[in-house]
Amino acid sequence: MKQFAGCAALAIVAAFAVPLANPLPASAADTIVLGAAISITGKTAKEGEYTRDGYQFAIDTLNQNGGIKVGGKSYQLQLKYYDDETKSERTAQLFEKLVNEDKVNFLLGPYASAPTGTAAPIAEKYKIPMVEANGSAESIFTKGYKYSFMVLSPAKLYLRGIIDVVRKKDPSAKTVAILGENEPFSKEVAQGVAEYAKQLGMNVVYHELYPSNTQDVSSLLTNVKAKNPDIVLGAGHLQDSLLIVKQAKDLGVSPRAMGFSVGPSSPEFRANLKQDADYLFGATQWTSALKYVGEDVWKTPEAYAKAFKAKYPKYGVIPYQVAESSAAVIVYQKALEKAGTLDPKKVRDVIAALDFTSFYGQIKFDSRGVNIYKPMAVEQLQPDGNKYTVYPTEVAEKEALYPMPPWNRRASR
Amino acid sequence: MPERKLSRRQVIAAASILVLLVALLFVPKFRSEYELLNYTRFLILALMAQGWNLIGGYTGYAAFGNVAFFGIGAYTTGLLMISKWAVPFFPAMFCGAILAALVAVVIGLPVLRLKGHYFAIATLGVAEATREIADTWDSVTQGSTGIDLPVRSEGEFFYYSALALVVLGVIATALLVRSKLGYAWVAIREDQDAARMLGINTTPLKVLAFALSAVFAALAGGLTAYQNIHVTPGDFFKLEYTLQMIIATIIGGSGTIFGPVLGAGVYQLLSTYVWTKFIELHPTVLGLIIIFFIIFAPRGLMSLVSEGLKVVRGQKRFRWQGLLANVRAHRVT
Amino acid sequence: MSSAEFAQIAVNAILLSGILALVALGFSLVWGIMNIVNLAHGAFVVLGAYFTFYLNELAGVDPFVSIPLSMVTLFIIGFIVQRVLINQVVRAPLLATFLLTFGLEILIVNLVNYFFKADLRSVTTRYSGTGWTVGVVRVPYIRLAALGIALVLVALTAWFLRATRQGRAIRATGMDIDAARLTGVKVGTIYSLTYAIGAALAGAAGSLLSMIVPFDPNIGGPYTQRAFVISVLGGLGEVANVVLGALLYAFVDVFVGARLPELSQAFTFAALVILLVLRPEGIAGKKFYA
Repeated sequence: MKQFAGCAALAIVAAFAVPLANPLPASAADTIVLGAAISITGKTAKEGEYTRDGYQFAIDTLNQNGGIKVGGKSYQLQLKYYDDETKSERTAQLFEKLVNEDKVNFLLGPYASAPTGTAAPIAEKYKIPMVEANGSAESIFTKGYKYSFMVLSPAKLYLRGIIDVVRKKDPSAKTVAILGENEPFSKEVAQGVAEYAKQLGMNVVYHELYPSNTQDVSSLLTNVKAKNPDIVLGAGHLQDSLLIVKQAKDLGVSPRAMGFSVGPSSPEFRANLKQDADYLFGATQWTSALKYVGEDVWKTPEAYAKAFKAKYPKYGVIPYQVAESSAAVIVYQKALEKAGTLDPKKVRDVIAALDFTSFYGQIKFDSRGVNIYKPMAVEQLQPDGNKYTVYPTEVAEKEALYPMPPWNRRASR
Repeated sequence: MPERKLSRRQVIAAASILVLLVALLFVPKFRSEYELLNYTRFLILALMAQGWNLIGGYTGYAAFGNVAFFGIGAYTTGLLMISKWAVPFFPAMFCGAILAALVAVVIGLPVLRLKGHYFAIATLGVAEATREIADTWDSVTQGSTGIDLPVRSEGEFFYYSALALVVLGVIATALLVRSKLGYAWVAIREDQDAARMLGINTTPLKVLAFALSAVFAALAGGLTAYQNIHVTPGDFFKLEYTLQMIIATIIGGSGTIFGPVLGAGVYQLLSTYVWTKFIELHPTVLGLIIIFFIIFAPRGLMSLVSEGLKVVRGQKRFRWQGLLANVRAHRVT
Repeated sequence: MSSAEFAQIAVNAILLSGILALVALGFSLVWGIMNIVNLAHGAFVVLGAYFTFYLNELAGVDPFVSIPLSMVTLFIIGFIVQRVLINQVVRAPLLATFLLTFGLEILIVNLVNYFFKADLRSVTTRYSGTGWTVGVVRVPYIRLAALGIALVLVALTAWFLRATRQGRAIRATGMDIDAARLTGVKVGTIYSLTYAIGAALAGAAGSLLSMIVPFDPNIGGPYTQRAFVISVLGGLGEVANVVLGALLYAFVDVFVGARLPELSQAFTFAALVILLVLRPEGIAGKKFYA
């Protein structure tokens, strides 16, 4: 008893004495602070960095061009972010911190659907808008939350473009096999493309989910091989996409076309697979080859890419996560300028009613807060070592190559 | 137990605990909403640790899967609250605790027959399997998409609920371990065969300890679910929670009444401090802290403090070698 | 399921069991001899994978060639870790070693994460994905080689433990540490040697894995878990039992994976619990070690 009293007293006194918090940032009177928890380290560290760079670049660009005008006054924007280490409960904790301690004005989303799912209720709890650019699972938006907005195209659209590309090249393609990671975003991607294929009269011969972080999909691929599909689609993340390709080659699974929801657009995909990545399709939210003309500071994807490269020279091809993150900041610009106030509730209402074209595509939210108006694009990695936008065909850089030569009949490089 | 008149020491001890309690009651007034979250987290961890202490500390069965009960509590609470009956929070949490206890009994009967490492890995397996089931049983749990509970924003509600549960937990633990049951548990831990020979019916008692640990974990799960709002299998069946409750108990002193609470406080303090100061390397620092504690103070802070008090009272001389006694005892040369 | 599918899946299981047996081998050795459940085992596997990756990336060394090098490096690391850390708690209660090695695992993984980042890596060579088609079944070369190497290492380890003086000293220490000490065995050195061998074997497994799966610092934990399950399934008395354990594990995993992939973990663990309750010494273990 006594021992406890002694040391516990010490502990509690220490707890009161030691300030657990960081002191509040001295934000200038005319700064608008946008807060976010992003995965700078951990599993999705790369994509988290893209997200952060996208936010920061947009904020810097706007600040350089005079900031944003809200109700006759000029404001500078500031990004306040923390690393959630790709752990979704950390994300929730950090969003609480941003709202309660750092007292940010508005929120930007984290990277990936799972953490966005934990952040959305927090935005709702405190009635502060969150514009998110990297979580495309619609399940986040089925709970009736009013304060979250999704700038990117929802999950179900991801793989549809690949089916369109293939059918354009080969209307006789009929059978599809789908492998999906068992997590919210990928489940929706898989479901979305399965429904689309059925709508078009195609035959979904295989549709199975594998556990996240699986180390072995050979059983699933063995099943797939037996069904001999024309198209094999993977709905997972970079790691699973790599695994599926490696094991498909191991087992000799050679459909006429193979595509993934996440993976091919990352430089790591090519780096890991080298020539095995040839002919593979990847879904993408945006590429710099698209031909939008927007009402924002950059106007076209090409101009955006050029300006971004100038500021961040170590990037090769601009990943779409960067562009969509910048787009989220632009949403706030448009909304705040229109609202003329910093009041969260009023700003929220203005965001809900926005409708404009940007360098990223059309931005408009349906009644749930989802941007169903912007289409997805498709890229293909080709044997010359490069990645080309092949869909939508009106803006395609190059023709898609089809069919994919079987693994054992490829010339080695 | 022989009756004793309250000695001066015991009165001082009781008074200090009361002071502490009052201090804890006033925390929300002096701390920001965000810091309150940390305190609430400490209390929830204390709750889980108290439960684990019963099966791991007193009965000597190092269960490695109690997060399964945490998750069961979270999901039961959540699903009942969003169901068409819109069950209010406390009854839903209570149901979660009951369900967890039932599961613990069903699982405990076969699994508690195993010992040591085998028991540990079997319970670990149970936790993993439960997570997978929650991940796959889409029709009930919505699978990996998770469920969202009704939004509730007053941090004070969660803090006081957790505090109340922890206080109840301390009282319950104290009553249990000072009863015949407590002695039986310790007997099982020290020498199960001898205990059996003395007529102690070990199986139901072990299962009871396990079921009680499940109750604590489930209550913690329900509270966390309501506080976090968004519940997914990945977040609520994490091995990390099991490890946190074990480490908290060990740091504080397993097999003691206040050890889990103390350990939870220290762990939360360390964890928050380390996280703020060493963001990129904080798991490394945490790992080092764990290693340090295991090597130098495996019986927890309670034992360190009681040794320290003995020195202070002059019952023992302070020797540097004393600090290394633990190490010497467990080394191999 | 057609017979062709069945045959392929069976082959997949056998190939998988090879690499899993190797992962479990070092773990089982350390557990059987030192009674230490080394939760940092997976971290050593990760280190082996990174070692092979960088050797290939920076110096063009073929991954198979790098295996002995990786083993030597991990041997040294394991030796030091045992001497400095593990030795302090070798005779402590179970929980202490669990938590110590767990703390160690967090440390190593975080350091790897810090220095090498969490990018996914894999070692792709000219011969990745090539294989042998036997009738309706496809046998990838790399996996086949991994199976071969795994079996060779299991056999070597078993031979070492039986036929060499050091090996017999290790087994003696495992059976009765005091008796061993009385016959002049330097127990402290033996323990360091055992742990170091365990680490070296983990390193070899990591090197092989780097060719087979895309890896990052976090794949260690699940492999430790698998090693744990496989060691128990096979039984601790004899290191070669990991082969049996790995076969059982791989078959359950792969066959369940063919029909209900999302529940493969649940089934594997259910199998484990059932086995443990019915036969705690594992498939082939001796009661002595249970």
